[in-house]
Amino acid sequence: MTTSDCFVSVVAPLKNDEKIVTDFMEEVVEILKTNFSNYELIMVDDGSDDKTVSLVEEKLKIFECIRLVRLSRHFGEEVAISAGLDSAIGDFIVVMMPNNDPPFAIPEMVSLCRNGTAGIVTGVRGHREKEPFWSRIGADLFYWYTKRVLDMNLPKNSTQFRVLSRQAVNAITQVRDQYRYIRLISNFIGYSQIEYTYEPINRSGKKQRRGFWQSINMAADIVIANSAHPLRVVSVLGLIAGLLNLLYITYVVLIFLFKAQVAEGWTTTNFQSALMFFFIFVILTVLSEYVGRILNEARRRPLYYIFDEKNSSVMLADAERRNVVEE
Amino acid sequence: MTFLNDEFNIVIIGGGFFGCSLAIHLKKKNERILVVEMEDDILLRASYANQARVHNGYHYPRSILTALRSRVNFPRFAEDYADCIFKDFDQYYAIGRKFSKVSANQFRTFMERIGAEITPAPKRIRDLINPGLIEEIFSVKEYAFDAVKLREKLKRELQQAGVDLLLNTQVSRVEGLPDRKIILYCKDFSGNLNTDVITATRVYNCTYSHINQVLADSRLPVIPLKHEVTEMALLELPEELQDIGITVMCGPFFSFMPFPPLAVHTLSHVRYTPHHFWFDKQGDYLDPYRFFERLPRKSNAMYMLKDAQRFIPALGKARHLDSIWEVKTILPQSEVDDSRPILLKKNHGLPGLTCIMGGKIDNIYDVFEELEGEFR
Repeated sequence: MTTSDCFVSVVAPLKNDEKIVTDFMEEVVEILKTNFSNYELIMVDDGSDDKTVSLVEEKLKIFECIRLVRLSRHFGEEVAISAGLDSAIGDFIVVMMPNNDPPFAIPEMVSLCRNGTAGIVTGVRGHREKEPFWSRIGADLFYWYTKRVLDMNLPKNSTQFRVLSRQAVNAITQVRDQYRYIRLISNFIGYSQIEYTYEPINRSGKKQRRGFWQSINMAADIVIANSAHPLRVVSVLGLIAGLLNLLYITYVVLIFLFKAQVAEGWTTTNFQSALMFFFIFVILTVLSEYVGRILNEARRRPLYYIFDEKNSSVMLADAERRNVVEE
Repeated sequence: MTFLNDEFNIVIIGGGFFGCSLAIHLKKKNERILVVEMEDDILLRASYANQARVHNGYHYPRSILTALRSRVNFPRFAEDYADCIFKDFDQYYAIGRKFSKVSANQFRTFMERIGAEITPAPKRIRDLINPGLIEEIFSVKEYAFDAVKLREKLKRELQQAGVDLLLNTQVSRVEGLPDRKIILYCKDFSGNLNTDVITATRVYNCTYSHINQVLADSRLPVIPLKHEVTEMALLELPEELQDIGITVMCGPFFSFMPFPPLAVHTLSHVRYTPHHFWFDKQGDYLDPYRFFERLPRKSNAMYMLKDAQRFIPALGKARHLDSIWEVKTILPQSEVDDSRPILLKKNHGLPGLTCIMGGKIDNIYDVFEELEGEFR
């Protein structure tokens, strides 16, 4: 295969990946070296506290064109990817998770992105069968909701594995939301997308699945960060509750006017107030979510802090050095 | 010209900017001074192959001492070498929005505190930058020097002062004599490899990257130094960038500014300019220039430009003409505090042998100050 003359950047977030990071880097560099004339591999360390960083540093001395960006603490996968995108200089930028995404797919995905008019090639997981029932149902529900109701075209079963054109990255890096979900942002910015179906790998061999609450939280974050739809639902609820109240008041007034003897009314009063309180609390819950979000965005804190950046500095091996020493 | 068995008051090894300036400075109080240079002209290595920036403090927003020092030296240098200063461009400092170690506000406050001129850049310049990656851009007062004019000026002054100059000659070894004088063994590169022997009362080693070469070959203690192979890209810029220089601070960024001797711009990048590095250690020394000559040179100019045009899109129209490669030598500790101290070791291993190294051209005044009182 001939090397293609475009410049490819690979961004990979790391978090306590000491078991897999060496293999991953070796594999990726090999693929990049044979397929592209110019490349860089940006490893973004998201606050690892094991040997991940020192293992990457070892490789900086051996391989060229590797960069290590260290965040000052753990900020989360999405922010780590953003930090990588912010400093990538390639024409095409590949985002991948070291544990799940197979490096051999890089050349094909890049050429898809390059040859098509698409700004983005999104990796899509082949199947979800291995996951528990609730997770599949939940996912279906979530995708239905985002597509039909929120009008967000989230590719189903998409993973972090993707190729972005320079144009797409330039657009993405302008989005500075605190709650970021790169998959959604890449959708938000427009540009056409192509899906690329692949079978994820599991390099570490560890069982890894998102827990129930984690999934719920993530779904809530995504929906709330990207849509005012729940707020609209609440507004409608509030409106209905108000109307019911109005009807009820009319009813009470009419009873008062036309009935000689008004009964105690214990049941209705309680029923009514309970119902109203129910609505009020639902409304307050959703409002508080949004207020919290507004607060976070209004603070305008930096998305992340960089602790350190190191680059490949391939020192000529000692043997080589000796050869050069004169006489 | 040969100085076989000749005797001098002072011999200066290295005909760079430091060596030559020091010779002229010391000539006022000394009889016979000789400058020994291994190349076939003076100011050919690091004195020429650098960004040509005359620092005025802006470059060190995290080290108040270095910044203040630059502020003091700047007007002095600009006056003393007025005919070698290139002012026909506007210099700007931009602050990176992400990955920067200082914010625009900190930068401005710092510069105001040290009294350095700083104003927001005009709209024409603002329109050139990508606000997503650059937080703010300031107009500043900073010059470039023309190393070729500097060379001619120093050559004239050396001659007027009556300093002797020995080109194509390398001091291979120095040795102490019983009468506290120093004997220098020289290699001649101009064809016949005959060896000259010169005697001197004082010797100044101003050879920058080569500083340890004389020491190692004379079995004197080696100074722990770090060497880097560096690349500066020479660019032909589009019209809108012709008469300006922009430095992006303060992190893994870049800087482009005019390079007066060639009438082009240089682009250097914190991440891509250094190619290889190594350290000098006792017993583990190699000649940096000879090592450098044999290293492969794979240009990083494309990387520099790819990154830089994200910040300044007009750089996408720049054309890479060539690159200047050179060995850059630094004191390992300056990596930590970002300051650029001078190295000055008196009587280093031998009475009368002084080793001098500075990181930037205007450090020369610090050297003069340090040597003050040595001759009275």
